[in-house]
Parts: sequence; C-alpha cells; structure tokens
Amino acid sequence: MSFQDSNTPLLHHSIAHSSRDGVGYCLTPKLAALSNTPGFNVKVNPILLEVFKNRFSSIAEEMGVTLNRTGFSPNIKERRDFSCAVFDQRGDTIAQAAHIPVHLGSMPMSVRSAIESVSWEEGDMVILNDPFKGGTHLPDITVVAPVFAGKKTPSFYVANRAHHADVGGMSSGSMPLSTTIFQEGIIIPPLKIVEKGSINLALMSFFLNNVRTPVEREGDFAAQFMGNTTGVRRTQELIQKYTLETVEFYARSLMAYAERVTRHAIKEIPDGVYDFEDSMDNDGFSEDRVGIHVSVTIDGDQALLNFGQSSPQVRGSINAVYAITLSAVLYVFRALVERDIPTNAGVLRPITVLTQEGSIVDAQFPAAVAGGNVETSQRIVDVVLGALSQALPKKIPAASQGTMNNVTIGGIDPRNGRPFAYYETIGGGMGATARGDGESGVHSHMTNTLNTPIEALEYSYPFLVTEYSIRRSTGGEGLHQGGDGIVREIQLHSEAEITILSERRKLPPYGLGGGGPGAVGRNVIIRGGERMEKPGKFSASLQKNDIVRIETPGGGGYGKKGASRQRA
Amino acid sequence: MVIVGVDTGGTFTDFVFKEGEHWGIYKLLSTPANPASAVLAGLNHIAQGKRKQIIHGSTVATNAILERKGAKTALITNEGFEDVIEIGRQNRSRLYDLAYRREPHIVPSDLRFGIKGRILHNGDEHEPLNVEEAQRVAELLQKSQAESVAVCFIFSFVNPTHERKIKELLAAREMVVSLSHEILAEFREFERTSTTVLNAYVSPKMQNYIGHLSSEMEDGDTLSIMQSNGGSISAETARKESVRTILSGPAGGAVGALEIGKMAGYTQLITFDMGGTSTDVSLTDGALSLTVESKISGYPIKVPMIDIHTVGAGGGSIASLDVGGSLKVGPESAGADPGPICYGKGDKITVTDANLYLGRVLPKHFLGGSMKLQGEKLENFFQKMAKKTGLSTMELAEGILSVANAAMEKAIRVISVERGYDPREFVLFSFGGAGAMHAPFLARLLNIPNVLIPQHPGILSAIGMLMADVIKDYSVTVMRNQHNATAEELSELFSDLEKKGVEDLLNEGISAENVRLERYLDMRYEGQSHEIIVPFGVQYVEDFHVLHEKTYGHRNRDKKVEIVNLRLRALGMPEKPEFEKAEKMEAKPPEEAFLGECEVVFDQKSTTTQVISRDKLLSGNKIGGPAILVEYSSTIVIPPFAEAAVDAYGNVIMEILE
Repeated sequence: MSFQDSNTPLLHHSIAHSSRDGVGYCLTPKLAALSNTPGFNVKVNPILLEVFKNRFSSIAEEMGVTLNRTGFSPNIKERRDFSCAVFDQRGDTIAQAAHIPVHLGSMPMSVRSAIESVSWEEGDMVILNDPFKGGTHLPDITVVAPVFAGKKTPSFYVANRAHHADVGGMSSGSMPLSTTIFQEGIIIPPLKIVEKGSINLALMSFFLNNVRTPVEREGDFAAQFMGNTTGVRRTQELIQKYTLETVEFYARSLMAYAERVTRHAIKEIPDGVYDFEDSMDNDGFSEDRVGIHVSVTIDGDQALLNFGQSSPQVRGSINAVYAITLSAVLYVFRALVERDIPTNAGVLRPITVLTQEGSIVDAQFPAAVAGGNVETSQRIVDVVLGALSQALPKKIPAASQGTMNNVTIGGIDPRNGRPFAYYETIGGGMGATARGDGESGVHSHMTNTLNTPIEALEYSYPFLVTEYSIRRSTGGEGLHQGGDGIVREIQLHSEAEITILSERRKLPPYGLGGGGPGAVGRNVIIRGGERMEKPGKFSASLQKNDIVRIETPGGGGYGKKGASRQRA
Repeated sequence: MVIVGVDTGGTFTDFVFKEGEHWGIYKLLSTPANPASAVLAGLNHIAQGKRKQIIHGSTVATNAILERKGAKTALITNEGFEDVIEIGRQNRSRLYDLAYRREPHIVPSDLRFGIKGRILHNGDEHEPLNVEEAQRVAELLQKSQAESVAVCFIFSFVNPTHERKIKELLAAREMVVSLSHEILAEFREFERTSTTVLNAYVSPKMQNYIGHLSSEMEDGDTLSIMQSNGGSISAETARKESVRTILSGPAGGAVGALEIGKMAGYTQLITFDMGGTSTDVSLTDGALSLTVESKISGYPIKVPMIDIHTVGAGGGSIASLDVGGSLKVGPESAGADPGPICYGKGDKITVTDANLYLGRVLPKHFLGGSMKLQGEKLENFFQKMAKKTGLSTMELAEGILSVANAAMEKAIRVISVERGYDPREFVLFSFGGAGAMHAPFLARLLNIPNVLIPQHPGILSAIGMLMADVIKDYSVTVMRNQHNATAEELSELFSDLEKKGVEDLLNEGISAENVRLERYLDMRYEGQSHEIIVPFGVQYVEDFHVLHEKTYGHRNRDKKVEIVNLRLRALGMPEKPEFEKAEKMEAKPPEEAFLGECEVVFDQKSTTTQVISRDKLLSGNKIGGPAILVEYSSTIVIPPFAEAAVDAYGNVIMEILE
C-alpha cells in the first residue's frame, strides 16, 4: 500500500494550493510533506550534530528566558503563555523551546506568512496575529526578526509568540462567545513594527489605541523585541564561530535527524487505516454536536491524516484554523517519539495533514476562532490519539479531560472601587494507559499553564475560595482508572460578569480497551443555597455572595475493570 | 580545642580540622546504613579526647526525601483544601509524556485531614476553628500511627491562632508537629504546605540522627549543622527545622569557594563541581546567590537555598549513538557499579574512559595508584563504536568529551548569560575529582579567562563548613503597597523579626557584638506575580525601580509598588580560621615535582606532556601547557592553550591563552 493508491488523488509531495472552484469537496494539503531535502554529500559528524542541537535549542531557550524576564503581564511572567523558535531561510523550524504545544505547528506558518509579505532589512521586525495568515487566535501575537549573514536576504529567522491578555474586541480578555472574528479584537496582518531598529510609532500607537490595557501591552511588546534581539545576536555569534555554510548545513542536518527519528517511531506503528470520530458538545449557540473525524493511514515510515469528514465550521467561537490542527498532530507525533529530539520541521516531514476548507478544523475568514485554540485543539488530539489507539493499544492513553475550562470574571472590586478582570484555566483528569492510572487534577495535552494560588487570588480579587479539591471518583473505571477532575468553588464578594468557555459537559472523555468514560464536567451557580446548572459555554451576571462551582471532567479509564493488573 | 568540618558524601566522609595553627585532613569510607558511624569514628581519631567544635554537612534530610524514607507524615489543613498538596500548580513537568504521573505524594489522601475554620487575607476570622472536629482528628491521628504532623491553614501567616490551637491539642499527645507559619510565614499555600510537609517528613529522622551523635559527645563539645543557605545552625534548631539542611553539603562547597576565592583576590566566581553522574554549577558575584524557588523530587521548598544548577553529565556518563545518528553522553550513568569500563566491570564507554583513552588520566597516579585501572580493555570498545560512527577512535574519544562539555557549557550559560552575567568577568572555580580535566576546555568555550583549582579540591565542602557564618533566615508576608506603608511602619514590623533573630543567635552561642542583621523586602509591581528582593533602606521604592530595571530591562513609574514579604537575615560571625600565605614566590618548580613525560591527545594530535606532582609545587611556580598535575584525589589537565601558576595560598590558577 502506498499513499498514491489510496482514495485521495491530491496526495502529492507538493504544496497544492486551495482551490475554491473545486467541485463540492476539496482537500488542501497545505503543508504536505516537504521532503525535498537536498541530498547530503558532506558527511554529518555525529558529534557536531549533538553540539549544534544543544546550541540551537540554547538560542530558543535563551530567547524564552529573556522574554519571561522582561515580560510585563502575569500571563507571560506567571503562566508563561509564550513560545520561541529559530527558523531557516525558508521558514522551516530548526529548534523550538518546549513551551506551549499549541504553538508548535503554527509558528512556521506565521514566519512564512511574514517572509512572503515583506522585503527584509537588517534590524526589522514583523508582527502579526491574523489567524487566517498563520496565526491561531487574535491574542497570540507573533514577532519575527531576520538574521542576516552577509547575503542580500536573511539566512535565518527567529520568532516568538506571546498570548496578550487583551487585544480589544467585544469582551475584556478577548476570549468571547463570538460569532465572527471582528468581535474578537484587532486583526494584524504581517506588518513591520520595527524598521531598521526603530519602532514604527504610528503602527504601535494605532494598536495600543485599540486595546484595553495599552501599558501592559507595550511592556510585553518590548519583551518580545528583546527576546528576538537575543535570538538574532546569538545566531550571528554562532555563524561567526562556525561559518554560515556549517551552520546552515547542521540546521538542515538537525531537521533530517528529527525526521529520521520520527520515521523510526512511525515505522513502529503497524501499517493500516485507522478511523476515529469524537465531537465537541456544541458551539455555544446551538445544541448540535460538532463532529471531528480523522482517518489515519500508516504506511511504513509515513503517516497521512485526513480530517476531510469533519463538521463544517460553526457560528460560535470554537473554529480551529489549519495551523491549530497541524499543531495538534505535531504534538501527538512528537509525544510518540519518546526521545529527546529537537522539535523542528523534520518531525512533520513524514506526515501529511489533509483538511477540508471551511470545516471546523480548517476554518475560513471571517469565522470566530477565539476558542478553537484552547478547546477544539484538545478534541483534535483526542481523535488522533483515538485512531492511533487501534494501532498502538499499549501506548496510547484513554481521553484526557479534553477542555481547558476557561473562566473569565470581571467587575468592580468593592475594596478599592477599581475594575478587575480574572482569567484562568483549570486542569482535570488525564486518561489512563495500559501502564497505569491517569493523573488527577492536571493540565493535559495542548496546554500546561499554572494555576493562581488561592491566597494570591484572595489578595487580588473580591473572592473567597470555598473549595479546591480533586473531584474524586470522576475518572473512568477500568483495569486502570482515569485521573480525577478538579472542583474549584469561588464565592463572589461583589457583583460581576462571568464567561465560561468549556467542553466535555455533555459528551464524556472516552475510555479505551473496555475502560469506562470519565465523568463529564459541570458548571453550577449557587445563589442563596439554590443550585443553578449552567451549560458548557455561557455568560451571566453574578450577584454578591453567589458561588461559582466548576467541576472539571475526569479522564477515561483503560481496560476492563476486574481484569488482572499487569505487574509494572 | 579542635574545630572540625565534617562532610558526609556518597563514597567518603571528609574531615578538615584545625587545632591552633595546625591544619589537618582525614578521610573515611562513608557508612550509608548509619552515617553517624563514620562521623563518630573520624571525630574520635582526630580529637582523641580533646574538646571539639563540629560543623557538619549532613545528607540525612536529603536522603530521606530522595529515598522516600522519611517519617509517616499526616497533614491538617482547611476543609475543602486537603488536595492542594496533590494538585500543586496543576502543570506537568514533562510536556510530551502521554503517561505522565507525578511523584507519589508524601502524604497519602487518607492521612490528610480537613477541619472547618477560615482566616481571611486581612487576618479576620471568617469562620472559627471547629475544635470538636480538631479533637476528633487528633484521636484519628493517634490511631493512624503517624509519626509527624504538618499543619497548614489558609492565611495562617497573617493570623496563626488556628494553627497554634492545633498544636496545643496535639501537644498532649506527644507528636512531632510542624506549623506552616513557623516554617515559612509566606503566602502561596501550595509552596508553604509543601515546605512544611517536607519538614515534618524529615524532622524525626534528623532528630534520631542528631540524638545519636550528641549522645556520643563529651561535655563542652558543640555540634552545628550546615544549612542550605550557606550558614550553620545549632543541632537543636536543625532538629526542628530540618528542611533547612537539604543542600547541606553543596552549601559547604559554595562557602568554601567564596572564601578561598576572596583570599586569592577573586570575588566573581562560577563554581564547577563535576561528579560521577552529574555536575553542579553555581555563580557567586561577591556573595552567595540564593534562591527561594528550589525543588527536590518535584516538591517545592521555599526557604532560602544556594542557587545550584545540576546537569546530568559527569565522569560516569555513558556515550551512545541514538537512532537518528547523534552522539549522546548521559544522562544514563554507569555509576559506581558497574562503573566505567576501565574500572573493570563496565561494558559501556563513559567520559572517564574517554579521558583515559586520550591519556589524560594516568593509571599510575589515579587515587595514588591504589585503584587499578584497566586501560587495555578500552581499545575493543572504542574500535566498535568508532566503526558505527564513521570516526577514528581518537575522534570519538575527543567527541565524547566535546558533547559532555557542551552539556556543561549549557548549564553554565543558564546561570550566567541567561541571568544577565557575562562569563568573561568570572573565574571558573573547579573542584571535585574530575572537574579539572574539563575546566580549561569549558573556560575556552565560554571565553572565561581563568580557572582556579583550590588545594584539596576533593574536600572543599568540609573546608567551607569551617568558614561558614551562623545564619538564621526569617520572613513574613505583609502585602502592603507604597501608599499604605511607610518606612517607619515597616521598620516597626522588622523589629519583631529582629528581636527574634537576636534572641535566637544568642541561643546559638553567638556574642551580641558579633551579630549582624540584614533587612530585605520582597517587592513587585502590582499585578506581577514574581517578587524581587531589595535591601531595605529609606529609598526602598526608588531602589526597587532601579533594581527592576537592572534585572528586567525596564521600570514603570505608573504602576503601584507592592511590598509582599519582609525578610530578615541574622548572621553571627564566629572567628574564621585563616590559611597560611606563602612569603616567598619562586617561578621555577623544584626538580622533584617533575615525574616524567607521557603522550596525551589534544585536538587529534598526540603531544608529549609533562607529568608533575602537585604536592611538590611551591607558591609562585609557573607551568606551561601541555602538562598534567597529579594529586591524590584529582587530576589537573593543562592543555597546550593554557598555562598555570601556583598562588600564595597553593591554588593553581590557569590562564587560557586563546
């Protein structure tokens, strides 16, 4: 069996551009395996390969440290919601620091979009956040900088992406229950924010006038610029030390290396076609489920993932752009490798991801996308893992909580008369595996942000936290139990507005191998002792003394309960 | 009277002692099953009935955690918050691990008890403590046979009445109790609980250990324990606050490096301690760098500890080729058993094997020749692996060292470049047995101009213990801002801590004129969640702006400044032993220092290299590279690109020439 024999004729190793004039159904292999790596005539030295692996990852990590140190907002300093990476002249990733998985596949699309849009000069930097031009959702703003090495065009690029706490739009925090991208904030196409070392003040001021917290934004931008400056300098030092030819050679070698290791991992998966489907509860406006389907074809050391049968894009804000789908797939295969390799373009080379334009996993302008990044990305991971579980039952876990439980509460703090805005995501249960139980009360798959301590919360907001505990017995039953969810209960000391964007409130995380599903999550408002069940996605006004109780989903169980447990 | 520094290590227990003007060193094999045996045996040998003052670096607390052999520990906390210790910060430490599990919890869920009662952030009692429930829990605890209890209530550091009440209830039952507001009076409940629970977990072990040592002491002997913050405390305090001794040994090393560096005229040091399985690096910019963000086995410890960065590359690290064709060194280690191939039993090439293969380890002088190295075994293994990699065996051997050095270089970058320090302004202070074979190569990679190798690099920790101050750290969360706190008011708040600090130091036997108090504030801009530590002075708000700009590159006058914690450091300075300084400096090494020549590979070239006995060298002696200096517990490689000189204190100072 080979890909060419399968039922999808568009599977060439080229970038086939999307065509809107196709008949009904059109697949867009946007990042089809770019395996046109030039043949290596020079021999790769295994020592220098390892040394360069360290050096490139150091550059990405050092950019991250600079960004974290100089960043202004809690979202960057405390929750560390950002990523940094180094790219070659085509925009292929050489090394990315292990920060946020959802940024993995989407960063190179932003960089390519920037490369295509401007002509570069030394000292330039380009910003963008347009989800339809390489972004993911509007709060994630990417800044790209070129690295010149004596040629007319840049030899390398560095870029970082940070989640900004507000980019305008209909609600504070820019994570709304929206129906179009125009409600979600300011859309930035690739533009030069820094020209030959000077900040474009007109553009900066235009942006800052469109957001709620301009001082914080400016501080975070400064940090993003500093991060890139560090990356450019360190890449130039590397070139000085080893010559451009050597650095370029080992950049390519590292991609080929990651590719070899990934192919090795795919080869361990039995050949075959594996289908799986799961759904989002709804889009926050209708009651309809939103299905995501994948058909994974494993052929030797290559993988093809076809999401063609997934639901069309929806009215609510859970649409995912192609970059998110790619990130989710990259995350899964990077996890399957189970080795310490650089996360770069090579990992994706043996993998082809097909989607249908205008679907929930390849949303088109002007779809609302704020929640695609945080919620739908988790379900895409669920279906890819579900499909692979048929091939690798011993390796793949049951479904984890499958949501990030986004909570935003805003109002006026009666202690000082000033407005407050609180945003947090809450962990849940992880899926069990053939090897053991799932972990409880933890963030899974596409996110890894920290919680806000209770004492920090009560200092900063008019809240009294009344419970923070593991939601016992919510993991799916089985030979190995799924991990349990979390209960977080907050009493308000003032009136406030709340928005919750959550999933797995109706359709539970699946179990595997006979294991039961995890418990669905619940959102409850308790007013004067009376419990009011709320849907997974809602906005509401809260009264003083109301209690918000969020119960997050458990992970799926693994294996039939009562079967004999394997000894570890 | 003999002053003795004792450091318990994995293999040896080291003793450094001073009696009048006489310095001495003694080494014994450690006795891991009961570390006190080696300590007591050594002390008897050294003191022979004389009065002794002992400063001890103990691994009891660390090993109790690493080996999970602490006391059976229970936790009492607020009802509804029993799982805070389990959830932690809700993140996972391995991003791509689909079967991720945390370390199992020290306190299992059936030993965690929630009691009604709640204090608010301003200290108000929102709900009184339910005393009947607390009494019931006390009975349950008795039945559970818990040996130690940690108590941590929300906002107890603002109003500790509930925690104190629990202690009263438990006091009647003779249990070891650790209260969170006493161990760490700072906000952030998870970190405070974790620190308190670890203290409860290790304290009973430490009490037994110290009890055993003390019972063998004579009248008039004193025993202090080295803390992780670089200062010592009395054994009595260490029994109650054992969590402060987790990095006891390494802290001795850092203090030793700082003091020896100062004497030699260097205050900016990067310390480099290469061991068998890992390498520790830390940075000293005139004073010890401390952190309050340490972790052990995944559990945060928020008490101040010296800031050490560890990387999984050492002498025993194994070299391998991965499926993608890249040469890896570590983190797998051959350890002591089977050990490197040249020790006789191993069958995987290690860093030590590569050093020996290149001629940089001299079997005749390794541990004074007492351990036989089997160099002849290496050829076969190197041939096989070289074939797989397509390299010559010498390329492979130097490659293994390059890869190991790259990992160590990265670790040094983390503590220097990433924190805003330029390595070119520092001296690489190398200690431990294997460090001085790698240090000059690392220095060249990082553009560090000089390498310092102290005398007796293998026992630096014990030396440091003799030179440590008595230090007590105190902190308390106040959560004020620049508008609702004045300098006078903060001073007032400090005076409570200071009273306690002075009292405690007097109890440690420090005389009043030797007490020094240092005041600090943990400050941040409103909305930030990380504090920076600012020395407390009249201009503390402006000082914060300046320090913030220096550390993070910007300041913000529009933002309110918050004062989160007060921090007091009480230091008691005992008399420090002094090293002998040579009067005479002579450039030419004495004839008897030259032991002969050998062939060593540098940059793929076999090079005739002098072999020199370090013990025979005198102050002022100069040696050009290439040369190898041998001593009992360490080997110093001076490559062709370096030269060395012995300073007035016997330190070898290497200069990197290219």
